[in-house]
Formats: sequence, structure tokens, C-alpha cells
Amino acid sequence: MLLSQYRGIAPKGQIELLKILGGRLKGRSILNVNSTKAGGGVAELLHRIMPIINSMGINGRWEVIEGDNRFFDITKKIHNALQGNPETFTEEMWDYHFEINRQNVQNIDLGADFVFIHDPQPVPLIKFRQNGHWIWRCHIDMSTPQPDVAQRITDYAGLYESSIFSVDKFALQLPIHEFVVLPSIDPLSDKNRELTALEISEVAKKFDLPPDRPIVLQVSRFDRFKDPIGVIKAYRMVKKYNDCILVLAGSPAKDDPEGEEVLAEVQNFAEGDPDIRILLLPAFSDIEINALQRLADVVLQKSLKEGFGLTVSEAMWKGKPVIGGAVGGIPHQIVHGINGFLVYSEEGAAFRIRQYLNNTDMLKRMGEAAREHIRNNFLITRQIGDYLSICIGVENAGKAVIEIG
Amino acid sequence: MEQQNFQERADPQLPSNGEKGRFDFRECRKLIMATGRKARNLTELHELIGSASANSIYHHTYEFFFKGHILEYTNDFAQWVGAILEARVLSENLSNIDPFRDTASLDSLREELLGSISRYIKKYGDPGNVLPGEEFYFQESVTVVFPAGFRALNLAEFLMAMRFVDQQSIYYHFFEGRSRVPAGIDDFSKWVEDTLGKKELALHIRSIDPFMHSIEGIRDQIVSLIENALRDEIEVG
Repeated sequence: MLLSQYRGIAPKGQIELLKILGGRLKGRSILNVNSTKAGGGVAELLHRIMPIINSMGINGRWEVIEGDNRFFDITKKIHNALQGNPETFTEEMWDYHFEINRQNVQNIDLGADFVFIHDPQPVPLIKFRQNGHWIWRCHIDMSTPQPDVAQRITDYAGLYESSIFSVDKFALQLPIHEFVVLPSIDPLSDKNRELTALEISEVAKKFDLPPDRPIVLQVSRFDRFKDPIGVIKAYRMVKKYNDCILVLAGSPAKDDPEGEEVLAEVQNFAEGDPDIRILLLPAFSDIEINALQRLADVVLQKSLKEGFGLTVSEAMWKGKPVIGGAVGGIPHQIVHGINGFLVYSEEGAAFRIRQYLNNTDMLKRMGEAAREHIRNNFLITRQIGDYLSICIGVENAGKAVIEIG
Repeated sequence: MEQQNFQERADPQLPSNGEKGRFDFRECRKLIMATGRKARNLTELHELIGSASANSIYHHTYEFFFKGHILEYTNDFAQWVGAILEARVLSENLSNIDPFRDTASLDSLREELLGSISRYIKKYGDPGNVLPGEEFYFQESVTVVFPAGFRALNLAEFLMAMRFVDQQSIYYHFFEGRSRVPAGIDDFSKWVEDTLGKKELALHIRSIDPFMHSIEGIRDQIVSLIENALRDEIEVG
């Protein structure tokens, strides 16, 4: 059983709970519907959790709705508008959104005990509910949505039995139960698994990172919201007091003209300093990123705006206390002063970097607390446990305490 | 609205501690639920605490300890008032409200919270709105309780299990146990006293201040108390 691979990595209780939930839900069916098999966090998550759910004896299915370019243009606009970027919609567009979903019903068997519909693209499927408990799983930040679009989505979402959001402040106000399930990382994926000393040293060699100098790292796209310029400014403040190397690692976003512009800005700003390393990694450089996080002494995620920011959890899992901007999901991961620091300015980031570089005991203690925090709260075993517990929860609506096993 | 369903927190039963006095370690998970209610300032916080469900008050006070860290504050309200509103006097005041003392009920807890906030507003005024995104979000929770995969028939087994059980199990028995009947008593000391008849050890465990330690700190203290008790039993001469 796939679950056993997590033994000794995830907390024992998380595995015990999954075994019990597996027993309770054995032979029951769970259907997930989203709009893509590849690309994006939702597909990545489903690729990881579906085999585990099926290995538990649960009949898990994953279906994808098909659509043409017009449909996906509309759903992209819906996505943008829900995230607060204004878009214009016509009645025809909403009709088309519904119509494509209606057409998909011919090809998708919607019969299941529990049906999880992911994000706004397939949200109209609720109109074709046959049986079972229907749950709308929304992964996007809807804290400042365009009101007319929010209303359209609410009209559909309100027909579900329950909904799930990633963070409470991302949630729409709906007339149904709204669960909060924080995202998670998979400790067995290439991005997070343990690496051998050889794998790590090869990456250090590849990027010419010396073993005897402190490394300050930020892994992020070259995007203004990730504040790479602010990171360099903070590094320069630190450099007056402490030796260190700054590594900014990210993938060049070729499809994003602004990404190239920001990268050029960063390269310009860093010019002439051999201790600033800007690493352009091809997509899927998971092992390199994993190794860089392990090589780093201090990890930053100095975002000015952020979704959930799971790179924070990824670094914390490697025993690094992260210095993060207090935005989006970052304060959910960093407990300030316990397993990392939240900062609000370049000066704040610089001060915390210096604190870590000068106090290796604190760095170690907070790093251990960071890893434990992720182990207890942000591993995929917890997230699967939440989903399956919600299945039990919707069948026991009205109970504040559910005893199982 | 159906949302009433999850709101009223029934008094949970005592954990069924197995056959023949066995201690079956259980643990819990919290499914968090958003309520859509958020406070931007102290006046709204006061108003929303007044109308929040019992489940929500329970979640933001008792369940604060589920997080397992020692923070400056002892409940979510004090944490927000201190860290976001930076109203220090009030955050100290709210942090001093003890949900685990034996006379506490959710109603009296709510009254105490409301009293502290309104006294503060009267004396110092409302410090005003926080920035968007920093509001206090009221949540509720559903507790899922399940066997932790450890059991103990005697004190030596109990000691071994205490070393290995998850933090969530220690939380469930040491913190949440106090909100079950008999009020104010954790499950560990109750079992040590009732089943093993070790009253002195039970009293020592009971005197660990739940406010002052992280869950790991509580684990360490209980382990050390039991080790001492066991050593006394086996030491000769």
C-alpha cells in the first residue's frame, strides 16, 4: 500500500487516521472533476493523491472536462476576475460556460458517493447532480473578487452541499458549509525527498557554490510581487556586516513578457557583484531546487503579494527557518519567532538574515521547529486525511465531534 | 441557512478507555470551517464575539493550544489584538482569561472576553480599522477523534507511549480532556489516579500548568514525572 511509504516520515497519527478512514470508506466512490490533467497545482495534487486513495480500497476516479479555446478564454477571465483583475462578461459568455459543462455531462459519469468539483471551470456541473454528496473545492484566492462574477459563481456554488477553500480569507461568502483545507507538500516528491550527499554536492558544483561561505536563497519566479530587488537590497545591507552569497533561483517565464522585463531589471541591479548568483532553471528542475534549499543557510520568501506560497513549506521541511513577507498564505506557515520570521520591509529582512548568520544555535533550533511544524501540518498525508474526513463530515452534518475507529 | 448544523458543540463523551482499565491513546484532527464573519476593528470584534456560535468561541480559545507553540498570547483573540491591533493592554488582559479553570463555561468565557473588550474601548477608544487582509476571521471546527495507535496497561507501557504519541494525542488528552466531565481534569491524571491508584503522581501531572508549556514541554514533564515514580518503585534500599 502506498501509504506505508509515508511511515516514519509523516506523524504516526496521520497514517493511523488514513488507515481508519480507508476502512470506513472502503468500496465507496470518490469522483474528482477539474479542467486539466497536466499543468497547475490542482492536477499536480490529484496526480499525487489519487493513487494513494485508490490504494486504500476507495474507488477514486478523476475526470477532466473538455472545452475549446473559447471556453478556456472565458474561464481564464472568470479566474482573473475572481482574483480581483477586472474583466468584462456578456450573457453569452455565461451561457457558453454552462453549455460546455452540459455537453461534458454526456461523457462523464457523475455518479459517485462523493463528488469533488475543482475550481470555477466545472462549477456548473452541480446542475446535473445525480446522487452523492457534492463538494466544491476552490483553490483560488477570492478575497477581493469582481462582484458580478462572484455572484454568478455563488449562484452555482450555493447549490453544493459543502465547499472547501485553501485559506479562510480566500473564501467567498456562501450559504453552505465552508471548510478550510490548507495546501500541502509531498515529502516523497523530487522537490522534497531526502537527497544523497552526492546529489547535493553535484548541484553545488554545477552552480559553483562554495561549501565554506553562507548562502542566502530565494526561490521564486522573476515577478515583482516576489520582490527580487528588495531581496538584493536586503542582502546589501547584510553584506556590510556579514559575508554571504545571495542565490536567486527561478525559471525564466518565457510566456510572460513582464517576467523577462523583471529578470533584466534584477540582472542590471545585481551587475558587478559576483556574490549575487541569478540562476535560471529550466521547468521541472525539482532536484536542483531541492538541493539549493538544502545548501542554503538562510531562505527568504520576501513576497509583497502571494497565493499560498508553498515554497515556504518546502524550505521549512528541509529544516530551514524561512524569513517571509507577511502576505497571502505565508503567515499560515511561519509562526513568527518560533520557526521563522515574518518581515514587512527590506530592513526587516536584512536584520533577520543577520540574526540567523550570527546565531547558529538559533538557526538550528528554529530550523528543527520549522521541520516539525511542516511534518505536523503541511504534509500530503494531512491533506488527504482532511478530504476523507470531510467525506465523513458531510455524512454526519450537525456533529461538532466525530468519533471514528 | 443550513450552516447551523455544525455549530452547536455537543458535550463530547469521555474517551472509552478500553478494556480492563487499559489506556487507549486517542488523538484528534480539527477540520476548520470558515464562517464568513470577520472583524476589522475592536467594536466589530466585540459585536461578533457576542453573536458567534459556541463552537466558534471554543475554537478560538480552547483549541488555540492545538497549535502547540508557546506564543505570547493564549487565545486567538488576544493574539490578533496584540500582534495586529497592537493594543497591548487588552492583549494582556485577554491572555489572562483561562478557559481551563474548573468554573469556566463557554458562556462565562464569552462574557469575560466581551467585558475586557468593552472596558478597553471605554477607557482607550477603538484603535480603528486594520489593513485589508488583516481582519480577524471567525472560524468553527469539527473535531475528528480516532485511535492514535498506542495503548498502555501499566505505568511502564504508559511511559513508552507518552514518548512516542503525536502531539495531537497529548493535546487531546491533556488539554481537551479538561473540557469533558469531570471538568478541569486531564485524561492522563484521571487514568493514573482511577485505574492505577497513584494519587500522588496524578496530582503532580494535574499541577502542570497548561498555559505555560508547549505540547512538547508537557510531554517532557509528564515523562519525567513518570520516570521518577517508576524509579521509586523499582529502586531497592
